[in-house]
Amino acid sequence: MSEALYVGVDVGSSATKCVILDSAGSLVGHDVVSSGFKYIDAIERVVSGALDQAGGSREDMAACVSTGYGRKHVPFSSRVVTEITAHARGTRAWDPEVRIIIDIGGQDTKIIRIDGSGQLVDYRMNAKCAAGTGTFLESIAVKLGMVLSDLDALARKSSTPTVVNSYCTVFAGTEVIERIKEGQNPEDIAMGLFRSIATRIKEMIPSRDGSVGATGGVVEHCPAMVVALEESLKCEVRLAPMPQHAGAYGAALLALESCRETGSEVDHASAG
Amino acid sequence: MTRTAKRVKINAQGTLRSLMRDYFLNLDAAASDPDRLVAWCTSVGPCEILTAFGYEVYFPENHGALLGARKISHECIPAAVGVGYCAESCSYMTSDIGAALSGVSPLTEAYGISGPPRPDLLAYSTNQCREVQDWWHFFGRRHDAKVLGICPPTHVGEVTDAHVAFVRHELQELINHIEGHLGRKMDYARLEQAVSLSSRASSLWRCVLDTARTRPSPMTFFDGLIHMAPVILMRGSQDAIDYYNLLLDEMNGRVSGGIGAIPDERFRIYWDGMPVWPKVREMSEKFFDLGVAVSASTYCNSWAFEDYAGGDPLEWMARTSTEIFINRSETFKQQFLIEMCEAFQIDGIIFHNARTCPNNTNSRFGMAQRLRDETGMPVLVFDGDLSDVRFFSTAQTMTNMEAFVEQLEGRLR
Repeated sequence: MSEALYVGVDVGSSATKCVILDSAGSLVGHDVVSSGFKYIDAIERVVSGALDQAGGSREDMAACVSTGYGRKHVPFSSRVVTEITAHARGTRAWDPEVRIIIDIGGQDTKIIRIDGSGQLVDYRMNAKCAAGTGTFLESIAVKLGMVLSDLDALARKSSTPTVVNSYCTVFAGTEVIERIKEGQNPEDIAMGLFRSIATRIKEMIPSRDGSVGATGGVVEHCPAMVVALEESLKCEVRLAPMPQHAGAYGAALLALESCRETGSEVDHASAG
Repeated sequence: MTRTAKRVKINAQGTLRSLMRDYFLNLDAAASDPDRLVAWCTSVGPCEILTAFGYEVYFPENHGALLGARKISHECIPAAVGVGYCAESCSYMTSDIGAALSGVSPLTEAYGISGPPRPDLLAYSTNQCREVQDWWHFFGRRHDAKVLGICPPTHVGEVTDAHVAFVRHELQELINHIEGHLGRKMDYARLEQAVSLSSRASSLWRCVLDTARTRPSPMTFFDGLIHMAPVILMRGSQDAIDYYNLLLDEMNGRVSGGIGAIPDERFRIYWDGMPVWPKVREMSEKFFDLGVAVSASTYCNSWAFEDYAGGDPLEWMARTSTEIFINRSETFKQQFLIEMCEAFQIDGIIFHNARTCPNNTNSRFGMAQRLRDETGMPVLVFDGDLSDVRFFSTAQTMTNMEAFVEQLEGRLR
């Protein structure tokens, strides 16, 4: 075995992410692939991609922590944690000032509150529907014949965002069509959709007692989302260096820490 | 994490199975016997009065729970929605009405009977919710049977003599109506006996639940969901008393032997709100795997009434039906939860926000946050429903539960 590598895999509903650290905690590899229908295929591809970047092989994996909705599908995982713990750990390492983490994922949005030591204090998840999630935006983009990045580009040109009232993806889609028929600017309607998510998120943050950070694919690929959040929360929203990889990064850190705690370089559950 | 430890089986369960069988077969026989009477009653309703009049008493909410537990509610609900019952109103009600309209009942597979017994009378108390009134009236129309009910005051803070007198008057009126309906008088000695038996069963049930104050908990909320059946269905009978004596002996034995329902119990949780009946097994297994004992709950305590020490049985009934948790003010409920958490050495509280049961959901007006702020204990609110799985996401809920335990683990570090 060459250098020991510590792997974090975040198997999300839309995308699967992998981050690899060396024994000094430096990020040496990462990748993201679409989760698709078969988690195991996505896991194999994303880990291979990240290992290639790290210049390592499967034999170099000293420990692996998995997270995300498909967290239990990672066959070589030595520990499984929820996205809440993983995002808290990853964001804390990247930005120790952050106390509130907004993670906008494909399937749900989480608000995670941590204290000065990084301890999880509280968390909330959106109710069981697509409201306030990446899926909400993607569904409406599809309805408008676009992809998410088109919707974002459009929104960034908005000067007077439209108010989209409905939380429901289906009803919001209908509302968008009504606004188009009324002759409102597509740019303003697009920004209205990001604002709608930001409003939903604001409801989940009853008080702010520290800096706010954001993670997840939506904030990484849609700057309009960050603008909408900052306008809604009336504060700076700090982005992790690789927002979509924050969970995988947190998981990789936990993998490294688990070996440090046991004084072992290798966690045999994953190495085996 | 999947633990290799095995569950310790509750031996009394065999007796419970026979009791349940006898109960439903007796109801079925009574329904087809022209000389016997069957009444339907709400679960915390005036069943002792019905028993004293000689009715065999059936509880439709139990049928609603069974439809959920057998995972057939969602197949029944559309039939009720089709005849005008809102899909977001009580899913016990919509699944029970839908089951009747579809000719479906879990009692057929379980006991070989056609379904719920045909009622001669339906009696309700709105001390739990107003939905029961419309639920009962649906079946009253369907079976051309009389529907009677009482409406105790709700959101009560301190229960005063005036509250009790008001409800006592309602109960007396109920008796007067039944006397008129049957053409015979109430046997008050029999009522006193029914109340006495009811109170004794209820006290024993409380003693059973209280064994979980010890660490490790000899039983959990999920065990309670099975073993609470006699205190609901057989209240006012000697059978319920005998059963809880048996169960209490077994639980006391566990306490003496240090035997926990969850081997190597790591954390203790309080459950507020309704169970998610179609997911009870999955949730029970999840908490087992996590090493978490759900040691106490509001729901299982709903049938733990004050003792009857003799005197006016109607006054006891009036007081107990007004004092129940679900009927009380937010301030009372919050204090009750705090005291329960202290008594059961609780590490965290889970609130079930049941979409179709606002009355038995206590997280809708800030109580979870107030409790967290007051006690410093972690709280979790998750969205679900008592019977309708369309309002429930397994993946999201399980993530919530696991993250909650990670939060508790973090507090130990």
